[in-house]
Amino acid sequence: MQIDWLTVAAQIVNFLVLVWLLQRFLYRPISAAMRRREARIEDRLAQARTTRQEAAEEAERLGKERAALAEEKAGILDKARADAAELHQELEAELRAEMEDKRKTWQRHLEEERDEFTRRLQRHAGQRLIDIAERVLADFAGTDLSERIATTFVSRLESLDEDARARLVEATRQADSAVIATGRPLDPTTRGKITRALHEALASDIPVAYREDEDVLLGVRLTIGDQTVEWSAARHLRRLETALDEILDSEGRGPRAAGTAQNSAATARPPRPERSAT
Amino acid sequence: MEISPDAWVLAEWQGWRLTATVGFTWLVMAFLVIVSRAITARLSEGETVSRWQVMLEVIVTAIRDQIDEVGADDPDRYLPFIGTLFLFIATANLLAVVPGYEPPTGSLSTTAALAICVLIAVPIFSITRRGLGGYLKTYIHPTPLMLPFNLIGELSRTLALAVRLYGNVMSGTVIVGILISVAPFFFPILMQLLGLLTGLIQAYIFAILAMVYIASASRSRPKPDNQPDTDNPNTAGD
Repeated sequence: MQIDWLTVAAQIVNFLVLVWLLQRFLYRPISAAMRRREARIEDRLAQARTTRQEAAEEAERLGKERAALAEEKAGILDKARADAAELHQELEAELRAEMEDKRKTWQRHLEEERDEFTRRLQRHAGQRLIDIAERVLADFAGTDLSERIATTFVSRLESLDEDARARLVEATRQADSAVIATGRPLDPTTRGKITRALHEALASDIPVAYREDEDVLLGVRLTIGDQTVEWSAARHLRRLETALDEILDSEGRGPRAAGTAQNSAATARPPRPERSAT
Repeated sequence: MEISPDAWVLAEWQGWRLTATVGFTWLVMAFLVIVSRAITARLSEGETVSRWQVMLEVIVTAIRDQIDEVGADDPDRYLPFIGTLFLFIATANLLAVVPGYEPPTGSLSTTAALAICVLIAVPIFSITRRGLGGYLKTYIHPTPLMLPFNLIGELSRTLALAVRLYGNVMSGTVIVGILISVAPFFFPILMQLLGLLTGLIQAYIFAILAMVYIASASRSRPKPDNQPDTDNPNTAGD
């Protein structure tokens, strides 16, 4: 057990060198690495906290946005419902107006049809009446109805009052010819009789033209210029028409009473004015 | 039978003798430095760390924790000195399993050198921390009458450090040598294993005692105005 002081000194130096070497190669790098790693972990944790906070804020913001969107959606839906209801009302009103128009059109057509029917009925009835009257006249008077009409016309001409005769005479001076319109064709004898009577009554040799006119039905219509003298069944037929109108109106107020005051007003036509010089 | 590796001369050149003590010391130093350099050259600071780096980190952290437990308030200040004491002694002792190796700690010259280092380090750490006056006051504490006893204590504990380590390590070697001559099979292996344990314990004891001496000399005393002591007071002295 001895101490070699030289070795002791050498070992002291060796130990100090080892301290320096290990400080350089072991403690310092390891400590630094651990410190840096801790700092990095701390950084990461701080970053994670920040990120989490940001995420929470973002989530809150998104929640608010979503609520706002839901509110907006509800508002839009409400508005759409209101618009739809309004549109529904408008369409309903339009439809009602259209229905009303159609109903009126239909009613108008109905009235026109009735008028047409009335007219045809008038004509048929007049025709029938004339036929009957003609047959009765032919049976009982033993003469042709046309001749009878001519005779009546001639007697009427003769019995014209002065005022009317003067107007007719005045008209013959301006007009080129006189026009006799009858419902049926007249035989030449009758025509001659009428021409002669006309010439005598008006003291004129104005040419006379004969024409057939369905509207005259039965009788004679004399037209000279703007003067007209008429003796025909038309007047009686118009009375008959008025009577028929009244009958139809009273029937129209029955089953087809959808018609209103307007309907009846439309049908209550004013009587046609008679263009008679007499 | 060789008792001290001091007597084993590995080489001789112009009157300078390289004894086994110094030679194996260099070997241990080279081993420690090379291993440290090899591992710390590829240090990772990310999440994945190599197992060698983990080993070094565990060792360094454990030494620092031990220093902290003894009561030093700044472990990094003492880490190189105390850590090197522990690593050197432990490595020198553990390498004893290698055939042909003679632990340098089995030489009284080595242990004396280490003890002298501690003897010098205690006042140096104390003076850098408390100043020269503060350090000298520790010798006349609690009364100037204690000065001779403090001085004797300082020297005797240095001697005790040196002899304790030397005796333990040398005895291990000697016991193995004796046992080989008495019972050459198996039994020396068990004693060798026991020697490993003893060597590690001795390294720990030497380093811890050195730290205790330094800490007790460096610790600032409570101020008269009863300011709270920032040092850890629960450290036992020698």
